[in-house]
Amino acid sequence: MAGSTIDHLVSVTAFLAAILIFISLFNQILQTAAMYQRHRSLAMKCSDLLDNMLLSPGIPSDWGQTNVTPTGFGLQDPEFTQYRLSAFSLMRLLSSVGAPVYYPKTNQWYSNVTVGFGNFLLTSFSEAINYSTASRLLGINGTYGFQLTITPIVTLSISEIQSKEPLRIAVNVTGRGFPLANAAVSYCFLTVDLKGAYPAYKTTYGTVYTDEKGSTLLEFSEITKEDTSYALIAYAQLSGLIGVGYHQRVSSTGQYVMPFVDNIAEGRVIIAHSWDVHGGDNPAEIAYNATFVLLAEDFTLREVPLGADKVDKVNYGEGQPYKNVTIPTHNPGILVITYKKSAVEGGVIMMPWGISAMAFPVVFGEDPSGKEWVATDIRQVIVNDIAYQATLALWSLEGYQVIR
Amino acid sequence: MMRTIEVLLVIIIITAAFIISSFFAVLPQPREVSPLNLRRLALTTLQTLDRDYDLSQIVFKPIDDPSWSELQIALAATLPPNVIYNLTVYEVSSDGAILYSPIKSISNAESLGIESEASSYLVASSNVTFNVVPEKIGEKGGGGTLYILNCSDANGWWITGYTAQSLAQDLYNLLSPYFQITIMIQNTAQLAQVLNGTALQNEVLQNAVIINTFGEAVPIPSGYYATQGNDSQHASYAKYCYILGQKVRYFNWTWVSIVGYPLYYVSNMGLFTGPNDQNTWGIYGMKLVGPAGLNAFLDGLDDKEYGNWWWDRSDNVWKYDNDWITGDLDDDPRLASVQLSSEALYYCNYYGIYPSFYHTATRALPSWINSTYHLNVTSYILNTVDGWIPGAVYRHYSPSDSNFTGALFALGLTRTPDIRLTALGILSDYKPRLYRSEYTAYGTSRFVVLQLGLVGGI
Repeated sequence: MAGSTIDHLVSVTAFLAAILIFISLFNQILQTAAMYQRHRSLAMKCSDLLDNMLLSPGIPSDWGQTNVTPTGFGLQDPEFTQYRLSAFSLMRLLSSVGAPVYYPKTNQWYSNVTVGFGNFLLTSFSEAINYSTASRLLGINGTYGFQLTITPIVTLSISEIQSKEPLRIAVNVTGRGFPLANAAVSYCFLTVDLKGAYPAYKTTYGTVYTDEKGSTLLEFSEITKEDTSYALIAYAQLSGLIGVGYHQRVSSTGQYVMPFVDNIAEGRVIIAHSWDVHGGDNPAEIAYNATFVLLAEDFTLREVPLGADKVDKVNYGEGQPYKNVTIPTHNPGILVITYKKSAVEGGVIMMPWGISAMAFPVVFGEDPSGKEWVATDIRQVIVNDIAYQATLALWSLEGYQVIR
Repeated sequence: MMRTIEVLLVIIIITAAFIISSFFAVLPQPREVSPLNLRRLALTTLQTLDRDYDLSQIVFKPIDDPSWSELQIALAATLPPNVIYNLTVYEVSSDGAILYSPIKSISNAESLGIESEASSYLVASSNVTFNVVPEKIGEKGGGGTLYILNCSDANGWWITGYTAQSLAQDLYNLLSPYFQITIMIQNTAQLAQVLNGTALQNEVLQNAVIINTFGEAVPIPSGYYATQGNDSQHASYAKYCYILGQKVRYFNWTWVSIVGYPLYYVSNMGLFTGPNDQNTWGIYGMKLVGPAGLNAFLDGLDDKEYGNWWWDRSDNVWKYDNDWITGDLDDDPRLASVQLSSEALYYCNYYGIYPSFYHTATRALPSWINSTYHLNVTSYILNTVDGWIPGAVYRHYSPSDSNFTGALFALGLTRTPDIRLTALGILSDYKPRLYRSEYTAYGTSRFVVLQLGLVGGI
């Protein structure tokens, strides 16, 4: 009797233990499979969402060139099909990397896509589309988080090798995974002339080719002084790929003018004194000369008339109003502003009108770092002839984890 | 002891089940779980490389041309470093055995791993022109003559901003490829010849299409000015319009009115030279016929008797039949924005003619004319609005045998005319086919396949 009871107890215990172990093991497999399925679903959602953004111009289709808040989100250039994006829709996206800039004289914050000194793109928050609006328009508010990154495929790294007699500038052209050998590099070299009451500039053009490492050297014998301000805009082209690079040297980095995009629909750009934005020593009135240039098919820059307000002076402090220039077109181009603080201090700053004109990158959305599982997808896109790569990082906000 | 042994047996069975099910339940590789969409990446890469038709040019160059290495550099520069590729260009041939024969392949790896994705792209040679040859109207069944009124001795109305001559030239350019012969009727004397049944260039008169580019006015030849077309009793040229209707029925013509109220004026600058021979808006050389013109035309088309005039005591004028029959925005405000019909939209794409989708109809014909004058609408160009037809082709049928005898294509829109609608309407009704040269013709097309994989395979 006792033997059978023990036998019964041992068998039941062993059976229950085995069942629990096997349930746990099977459950593990099922959990992992379910998790894999959800991750795969996230990857597919990422691909679909990226296509939704890139293959639709949004509603209204020209929202990038107006001040309206779109009722449908999309970045496609309404004048094209396929993966061609609007340079102005991208310009209206609130950047998530640059620290916003506050300008007290308009009492407004500006989205900051500035790429180094002298290359500004500051768009008013009232014009910009923020992440939550885009998320709501895409129908993923509260369910998915995302970050959209639009970066140029071709990068031109420009650095000064020798400062004068002659000025030597090295240009390195690289793609995403390889240097661009034998690429044609067309450049526009602007030197600032501070002699008159208002600054002016002279331009020279040229074309060179990169070597097998994607490098080339430019020489400018007319630069004989170290304090001569200049700007170089270069376009590299190879088999349909076009990239843009720029570099400038200025003799006054303490006081300069800053352009703020005030109204995209009307093309109005505020010219502000830098002291009003972030202070500095020895402020003084600054004279400026603004020019808007478009890139022609032969990679030369063509000037578009800006009207009488292109040449003026801007002062700092209270009671000194900012100035305006109005860009008369919605074709992407570059606003070049030469400025002069004194007879020997001046420089040049540039602002792209449409992000592609200077191949500015765009980062829009939340930071994906620290998220549990992030799916990414990539497309090659064209923004006004400049080759870009669009990357979407997507993650779920519904709270599941890889390992419970 | 037996129960313990039984439980051990059960555990062995469950273990075996677990092992066997684990063997079959293979989880995907981590890379498969959240993959890059390599197919889309390949397609967009090809589109980027062909941004300015660079890819299209390179793939037709000799295989030892340096452009191929530039293409490889551009391809390598475009793709992320962890992506391996194989780009193969195929010749597309249609001569039998092999449809796609490989010409050149460029790659940065010997193998693309176990799994890869590919996209294809068909490019056409820049040296080749792809022709579209239209079927000629009248090739089968006779007819095929297009007359365009281009009379230098007449004035138009409701064609503001254009001249009849400029419209005629545009219509010639648009429509002449679709007809056997296109004749510009240069003056009213030539129009008289045609109306009298005399060919101008040995063309076939029967089943022709006549486009009146003069808007609401119609040129009148001298032979119809004094007696034949002039109803002296009622001081009206509605008789001329009645004769036009008869001729349209007799020769089975299609009469095209491009805008406004059809046949509202008659015009001849050489005959109407009096100080009052104007349309009250300062356009001289024309006489008002009014709504009687269209009513008389429809009577002539339907082989009815001419002369259903009646005296309107309140207005103190002679009126013909139902007098004013068209509808405008007062009759239905929706006529302010009439839309292209689905049939017209289809033919927009087929013939590559894209007029505006919305139009304003202020002279829409009523649908009751179909029963009154034995008309059948064979093509709606614009959608009807509650019994009002803004634009359609009406074919007259003989009540006795149901054969079509003459047609009216009336676009009752407000000025100014869009002659693309006229062209679209005629083509929608006659439906000439387009024969496109094939993309598979030898040497004209090449097929590019870009295959992508990830470094390390899967």
